[in-house]
Amino acid sequence: MRAIYKKELRSCFTNMTGAVAVAVMLLVFGLMFRYYNLYNGVLTFHYAVSNSALVFYIAVPVLTMRTFADEKRLKTDQLLFSAPVTLRSVVLGKYLALVTVFAVPVAVMSLYPLIMRALGEETLLWDYTCILAFFLMGCAYLSVGMFISSCTESAVIAAMLSVVFIFATQMLSSVFTMISASALTALLFLIILAAFAALIVYLMTKYAVLGIAAFAVLACVCAAAYFLRPDWFSGRTESVLRVLDFSTHFSDFAGGVFSVPNLLFFVTYMAAGVILTVQSLDRRRWS
Amino acid sequence: MIEVRHLTKRYGDHLAVDDLSFVVEDGTICGFLGPNGAGKSTTMNIMTGCLSPSEGDVLINGHDILDDPEGAKRTIGYLPENPPVYPDMTVYEYLTFVAELKKVPAKEREAQIETVIADLGLDPVCDRLIRNLSKGYRQRTGFAQALIGNPETLILDEPTAGLDPKQIIETRSLIRELGKTHTVILSSHILSEVAEVCSKVLIISEGRLLAADTPENLAKARHRTELVVTAEGAEEDVLRALDPFAGEGRSGILDLTRESEGTIRVRLAQPAGEDIRGQISRALFEAGCPVVELREEKEQLEEIFLELTETGSIKEEV
Repeated sequence: MRAIYKKELRSCFTNMTGAVAVAVMLLVFGLMFRYYNLYNGVLTFHYAVSNSALVFYIAVPVLTMRTFADEKRLKTDQLLFSAPVTLRSVVLGKYLALVTVFAVPVAVMSLYPLIMRALGEETLLWDYTCILAFFLMGCAYLSVGMFISSCTESAVIAAMLSVVFIFATQMLSSVFTMISASALTALLFLIILAAFAALIVYLMTKYAVLGIAAFAVLACVCAAAYFLRPDWFSGRTESVLRVLDFSTHFSDFAGGVFSVPNLLFFVTYMAAGVILTVQSLDRRRWS
Repeated sequence: MIEVRHLTKRYGDHLAVDDLSFVVEDGTICGFLGPNGAGKSTTMNIMTGCLSPSEGDVLINGHDILDDPEGAKRTIGYLPENPPVYPDMTVYEYLTFVAELKKVPAKEREAQIETVIADLGLDPVCDRLIRNLSKGYRQRTGFAQALIGNPETLILDEPTAGLDPKQIIETRSLIRELGKTHTVILSSHILSEVAEVCSKVLIISEGRLLAADTPENLAKARHRTELVVTAEGAEEDVLRALDPFAGEGRSGILDLTRESEGTIRVRLAQPAGEDIRGQISRALFEAGCPVVELREEKEQLEEIFLELTETGSIKEEV
């Protein structure tokens, strides 16, 4: 794991991606700090942190797009697969290297509240809670980005999919008001989800019958539940979509509330990304 | 020792490897021979854990590649078809990374890297980025990577592909040298290479094993040599002189061409284990037909290979 970690860290800075990502992040953090806190005199740091989230659109794809897509393209994955190391340690090594690169600008950002304190501001704990949440959200994105990269051979496609994912998870909270809370909407939504699940089953197994069967079973269960307990369905669309809603989970922190469920939300994404990456690499060997 | 038992690999409906079984004893250089798409690379990828088999087992020096992958991989050095090198690293950085990846103790790392660099003649490019290297040097860097960690077994997928003739000769002698202390499996579609380097040949086609033997035995098993006789004189005279050697109904005469006015070339099957060149020469001379040319043609591994891979079912005979 150490070997992979060191190699990844170095390659991040020899092929510019790491340097670019760090530079962009430092620029945005600095601008936000300057604009909100120094120029407009906002007394807390959370506006600056919340608005810094737009750096993810650049930093995450730049950092993650090549992690596994390039290994596949250059066929260097054969070196990793035939080396006496487990897939898990390969994935963890790479992930920790990404987190380390991301931690550099965040560490610099952590100095800003100290500057504000020197200027007489007293919400240090709140500010650092915000920074922690920001860091965790970034780590969750890196994990998902790495997984996306492991699913494709093209870094460009990986980058685009990461941007789509970030966009969806950041914008979702503003869409909720437009979604009807009616039970019928929820039923339709769940049936669409069932279709997605069935598609995934089909793609994983290549058995069309299995995919259709999975869809039929899931759709029937949903429909049956709808006729038995329609009340259970009202407002379900939103609660299901919540699992993708990064911005709301983050803004609780930004509002100054340290909440363990929100913390676990991001940690779950981090773990899921790593585990899915291992699975996706392993599956490639079996296909 | 490497044991492959009933190995099968399916890609959907396509059978890439079909019930392949063989054993490679310690200290042999084993050549894996087959046309493109025969399943050589797939088999090697399975043996090194890069791919998983649909069925069957691979035992590498006593470790099962699926049950004890780390133990098995520790004893293998693998050079895949495309050298797995990172273009943004220098050769030295790359080899250091591989040494760490293969868990070579820190104390031995430097010495081992130096040895490998010297063995493969990488000194002049040591500090250059791999992206700027020629195909030959990249291939050699990939080869160097396989040697790091002193694995007992080397699995080399077309180790001489992309090299120039001088480098090919050097690489072959390196493989021969390594064969003294390692078990080597190399794949190739260059037959002369296999005949020259390997002490055992496995011929596969369409994922199935067609023959497994030493190159000499393979050649002997087909036991066919031909004589090409060119003599001056009338056709009837030459044929009459050759009659005693031509078998029943002149079935031994495989081919007959008129070279020019009064010169005839005959292709004659020579019985196994006999040398009848002297007798033929005398017989023709006595018949008044001077011999212009007389040469023996041994069947090459090339022809055996073509015959095997085209007919596809010679295993029992060999």
